Parts: sequence; structure tokens; C-alpha cells
Amino acid sequence: MSGFSGVLQLTDLDDFITPSQECIKPVQIAKSKSGTGAKITIQDDGSYLQTDRDGSTQKLQKVEISLSDCLACSGCITSAESVLVTQQSQEEILRVFEENKQLKASGADAKLIVVSLSIQPILSIANHYDLSVNECAAKLITYFKNLGADMVVDMTIAEDFALLESQREFVRRFRSTEIDGVKNVLPMLASSCPGWVCYAEKTHGSYILPYISVTKSPQQIMGSLIKQWVGGNLGGRSIYHVTLMPCYDKKLEAAREDFFSQETQSRDVDCVITAIELQQMLAKEDCNLESLEKSNFSQPWLLKENTDVSPCLSKHVGSGSGGYCDHIFKYAAKELFGEEVENLEYHNLRNPDFREVILEKEGKILLRFAIANGFRNIQNLVQKLKRGKSQYHYVEVMACPSGCLNGGAQIRPREGTVLKELTLELENLYSSLPVKTPEEDKVVKELYEGWLGGLESDKCTALLHTQYHAVEKTTNALNIKW
Amino acid sequence: MAKLETVQTLSKHTGRVWNVSWHSKGHTLASCGEDKTIRIWCQENSKWVNKVILTDGHKRTIREVAWSPCGNYLASASFDTTICIWDKKSGEFECNATLEGHENEVKSVAWAKSGKFLATCSRDKSVWIWEIADEDEYDCAAVLNAHTQDVKKVAWHPSDDVLASASYDNMIKLFREDPSDSDWICVATLEGHLSTVWGVSWHKDGQRLVSCSDDTTLKIWKQYLKDNNEGVAVIDGQETWKCVCTISGYHNRTIYDVCWSHTTDLIATACGDDTVRIFKEDDCSDDNAPTFSQIVCVDRAHSQDVNCVSWNPSLPEILASASDDGEIKLWKFTEL
Repeated sequence: MSGFSGVLQLTDLDDFITPSQECIKPVQIAKSKSGTGAKITIQDDGSYLQTDRDGSTQKLQKVEISLSDCLACSGCITSAESVLVTQQSQEEILRVFEENKQLKASGADAKLIVVSLSIQPILSIANHYDLSVNECAAKLITYFKNLGADMVVDMTIAEDFALLESQREFVRRFRSTEIDGVKNVLPMLASSCPGWVCYAEKTHGSYILPYISVTKSPQQIMGSLIKQWVGGNLGGRSIYHVTLMPCYDKKLEAAREDFFSQETQSRDVDCVITAIELQQMLAKEDCNLESLEKSNFSQPWLLKENTDVSPCLSKHVGSGSGGYCDHIFKYAAKELFGEEVENLEYHNLRNPDFREVILEKEGKILLRFAIANGFRNIQNLVQKLKRGKSQYHYVEVMACPSGCLNGGAQIRPREGTVLKELTLELENLYSSLPVKTPEEDKVVKELYEGWLGGLESDKCTALLHTQYHAVEKTTNALNIKW
Repeated sequence: MAKLETVQTLSKHTGRVWNVSWHSKGHTLASCGEDKTIRIWCQENSKWVNKVILTDGHKRTIREVAWSPCGNYLASASFDTTICIWDKKSGEFECNATLEGHENEVKSVAWAKSGKFLATCSRDKSVWIWEIADEDEYDCAAVLNAHTQDVKKVAWHPSDDVLASASYDNMIKLFREDPSDSDWICVATLEGHLSTVWGVSWHKDGQRLVSCSDDTTLKIWKQYLKDNNEGVAVIDGQETWKCVCTISGYHNRTIYDVCWSHTTDLIATACGDDTVRIFKEDDCSDDNAPTFSQIVCVDRAHSQDVNCVSWNPSLPEILASASDDGEIKLWKFTEL
């Protein structure tokens, strides 16, 4: 089983491709000078040695395909899994942690290692090891600190930003089309699922991209917060930022060029690990999560001493994928039509993974929102859009059936348990958490002022928004298969 | 013994003919091929004539055509990644729906007997189930990634909404809808062929299947339900499928297609050795270990690979075959 969402598995389109054998991505190699008459011999270790006429030898550079090369290519995608696994893996994390420990021991400038935990993998791990959600988080903090993390933080704050930004973006788009007649801005489509974004970029390109919300995903907002704000306030200290996420697609997202900061010369998120990998790490080290002490979350963005808090995780109203549809719907109903909506009543369309909710007034439909999960529903949505038959104003799109709680790299069901039952358990666990309302969060308000220079500022655009790039289909002769 | 005689040769296509499909009433035949056209043939004064040519649906080779059970729609699957649905509502045949979604070459298309679903498969390794929603509306009901390689063929059960798919991964998979969330799940994997499975055809009772392969054999598979009398173990789910017969030693090359007649129970095969063969189940053959005999073998039935064979549903003795040689042949079967 792959840890990717179904969408990215499908995009792995070639019969035989593995990056080493049939990757068609042209790669530029920096080569000193090209003399003629040189001989290339293959060494015992498989490396290539070039012997020039004058007898001098040089080892030839191996062509290496990085994850960002893969993202920029329309050839294959998840057959590049091997590429990905070497760059963002448990081994890589352990290597960095170890290296940092040695730096610290030798008194050299060590990195500050920050680990951000998102809610879905915490729920998956809590359920699997039969721990309460907060207990599980508290023990995970200890686990990461034992490994060498300096701080472990709760990602909920980034979700708050993502919701608030998405709400405002939606209202902006709605008004621009209603008032100024701007085209191709509605429906707004959710942007937090990188599997969906990657699929849209590779297969539907410029057709679908204008509809995708420019608000960054919580993972990448967390990246900005940690690297830009926290890092900046530590005098530019080098930070290594790890996130714990529910699917491998998040690794692809972290590797996007858009999220490489020139300023810090690093990615906003350096490494992504997932619930299933964490399970493997625990098993490998024979570590019993339950037996670990409890520790506290750090809140480095507060820029104060002694702000550690014991975990008290919360949920956002709505889906287990972040609650985008609910939050944007309520906000839009109030902002645009002065309607207070308490509870959203969804009704299922063709299947429970395609749900619709409407705001109706005097027989007129003011807002039509939907949640579309899983590849089949993405297909139906895309086809509706293409044929001009979509009546939606907003669609929360996630590549995995049932959304992020059923992410591709969540811990698999125990023997004898069906995946659907497990997903239901996680949904129940999630809905048992206390509700958090992003608008009411004091820290978020302070950060809008202190960090971002107010709502809708240029800094908000620069740090909380992103952009998408259509990937041109390569019409390379090598790519043609008969 | 028995014999197979040519009734008529239809040679209008340019380039190889990939597939033919009989209308449910048996009075019309559709064909398609490398020349990106679909031709529709009807009988006129006991001769089959090409009445219609459909040319503007696809940009690349058309690999398969299929008439809907009601006979009002024709689906065509093409290497251009799309499936076209044609109908005659306006009086003329027109493409009124195009199904997009496959990443590359679509290899096969089939309508469910219930008329509720359409299935397609592709080199992208996926099988798609399309739900026929409203007039000319086809919703994606499932994308099934059960196969690990190119999927060559999809075929629906003769009465139920159960789909069989055959693949380059040497396997056949069966799918059913899970009523709890209308998702489709793989309910059986039929392993046994040593190479690509090119074709699969259901027996009329829906409890047996015949498959043909690059390993030059035919295999007969039988369904065993939970708590069957034979004592065959059903480990997961409600059913298991067992290969009860392998027909080998007859075909010299890849068998590209197989068709199990729902009227005569005869099995016809299309082979890369240019030959059309017919097999019949032996009298008093045991259900759990059936035996079949080759009763007809037409050497050089075509001058090149035979791609497709199809029994006429209402004229039980008529068989159509299509070949790389650009020809379609109509055959008459007689048991002597």
C-alpha cells in the first residue's frame, strides 16, 4: 500500500517507468570542458570514470532526479516514490536529529529542530495505541524531544489562519464576480490537499487552476510561521522544521519550489513524516508510546518565556479535513447576506463523499457549497466544470475518500477491522474534541498585527498565499509509447 | 463434427480492424479500427452492407465498440483517452457524450445488462465505472486501481451488476458495488494465467467465465459461493473463483479474444496464428472439472492476427471475426 492519496497513484501512468530506468526528464549537468577522445570506463562500484587524452581522470557526476524535478515534469509521478522516500523519510529525520545532537555536544552552532503536529495523525495514533487524544499528543512530544527535537508545536494555529484567509478570499471572489463580473473565480476550490492540487496542475492545468484557492495549506502556513516569524525573531537562527501529517502527498507539497525561501535558503517545511511512518519508527525502536512521560507543547510564536502548555487539542466545526466548507459557508452567509447560520444541513448526492449544502432565501438559492472527497468525485466535479454545468460557489475538495482523517498514510486498520469502521472511529474521536473558533483566537489576532501587519496586508499575501503552475504535457519523442 | 464457412467478407476499413459488436437484436453490426472510423453494417437482401460511417469522434485508433443492451446507444473506446457515446435521437448517429478521465489509451468499453452502468479500462491500469445518470449524463461511480498493469478488457455479468476485468498483470478481477456507500470493491481475483489475459467472456448463467491469454491457453473459471456443496473454501467475502479447466495445446500464439455464445454455449477464439477455433463442452462433462473439445479450426481464417470474435445474439449460427488484415468476416457454423 502506498501512503499517497488515490489521485496520485492513478497519475503514475506509465507501465514500466521507474525513475532510474525510463525517466525522460532532461537534466542539466554542469560539466567543465568537453574534450574529444576521452574514454569512459565503468568502475567496480558502478561509477563512471572519464579518462582524457592527457591521462587525467575525472569521476563523472551521476544524474540525480530530485523531488522538485518530478513535480515539474508531466512524465510520471509516484513511481518517483523512491526518490521521495530518500529525501523525506524516517531515516533522514533520524540522521538530522543525530547530526544535531553531535553539533550540540561539540558546542557548535546546532539547528533549532521544531516538530509540528497536525490533528489527523494524532487521532490515528491515539486510536491505534488506545490513548486519549491529549495524552497521545503529550507523549508524542516526549518522543520527539527524546529524539532530539527542541520544540514540538500544535498546528491548530496554522489551521486557524488557513480558515480565516480562505473565508476572506471567498468573499473577495464572490464580490468580484457579482459586482465586477470577473470570470473564472467561482467556484472556489479548496487548496489544502496537495494530492488534488498536483493532479489539477498535471492533468487539467490552466483550466482548473484559476478556481483553486490561493490560500496556503495549514502545513505551509505553519512553515512560514516557524521559519519566517519564529526564525526571524531568533536572529535568523537555522531551523529544521518537521511536520507530522496524514498522507505522503504532503511531502510533495513541502518540496514545491514555491515553498523554498530565498531568505532562509531552506524549505518552509524541511521534512514531512506521517502516522504510518511514526508507527514504524516506534516499532523499530521498540518504543512503547504509552510508557513515555507527558510533555508540553511549545508556542515559540508568542516570543515570551515559559509559554509551554499541556496539550488541549480542539476541532474546527465541519469535516475532519479542516472544516473549510462549514467555516466559509457561515462567514459568507453573514458577510454577503447578513444571515446567521447555526448548523449546516448537508445532503448526500450520488454517494456520501459528495455532499451539498445550500443557503436559500425566499425561494432563491444564494449559496451552493459542496464537499467532494475521493478521486471519483473529483472527476465528476472537474467534468461538471468543464461542461459549464457546475452551480457551486465553493467546493471542499480532498483526494482521499472520507477526507484527511482517512489520509493515505494514516495507520492501517487492525486485522479484522474494516477501513470504514476505523474512519468512523476517527471521525467520532474528532467530533468529541472541544470546538475552536478561529475568529476568537487572541493569539491569531496578535499575530495578524505583530507578524503580518494587519488583515489583508501585503505581508499576508506574501506569507499566507501561494500560486499554482500548469504542467505542460511533454511531447518529447522519448515519451511516446506505441 | 462441425464446420465454419465464410458467409461474407466485409472489407471497407483501411488498416487493422480491432473490434466488432452485434446489436442486441442481431440485425446490425458495428466495427472499428485503426482508421479511426466506426462502420455500421446492416443486412439488405441477405447481404451485409455498410450503411453508416462515423468519422469525427476520435483522434486516434478506436479500440472497441459496444452497443447498449437497449440498442439505442453505441459506445466507442479510443486510444485518444476518451469514450464517445453515440445515439440516433436526431435521426442521424451523433456523439452526444464524451467521457474523459483516463490518462491514456482506453482499451475496452462495456455496458451493464441493467443499463445502469458503463465500464471502461485503460493502459493507465485503471478500471472506471460510469453511472448513467440522466440523458447523456455519465457520472464517475468508481475508479478501480486493483490491477498493477495495463487493463485489456472489461466484461459485465450477463444479468447482475458484476464486472470482470482482464489485465497485462496476468489476472482477472471481479468487482461489485458496495451498497453501503455505493463504492465498488474487488470481490475476487482470478490468478492462473502465466501471461497477459486478453479477453474474458461470461457463460450465460453468470457462474462461469472463460478467459484467453498470451500464454496460449483458455481457462474456465467457476464460482463457488460460501458454504457450497463441493466444500471449496471461501476465505474472504461471499464467493471464490476456481480455475476448473485449462484448454491448452490448440493455439500456437496469443489468443486475443474469446466469446462464449449465450445461445449455443459454443466458445469461439481469435488467435494471433490467424486462426478461428470453436470449442464445445463435452457431453457428460463434470461441472467441477469440465472438459472441452475443439470442434472447428479454420486455419488462415484471416491473413493476419485475428483480433476479435463475436457470436450474433439472435442468429445463433453466425459468428463475426475482425483482423489485422483489415477485414471482417461473417461465418456460418453448422454441426454435421
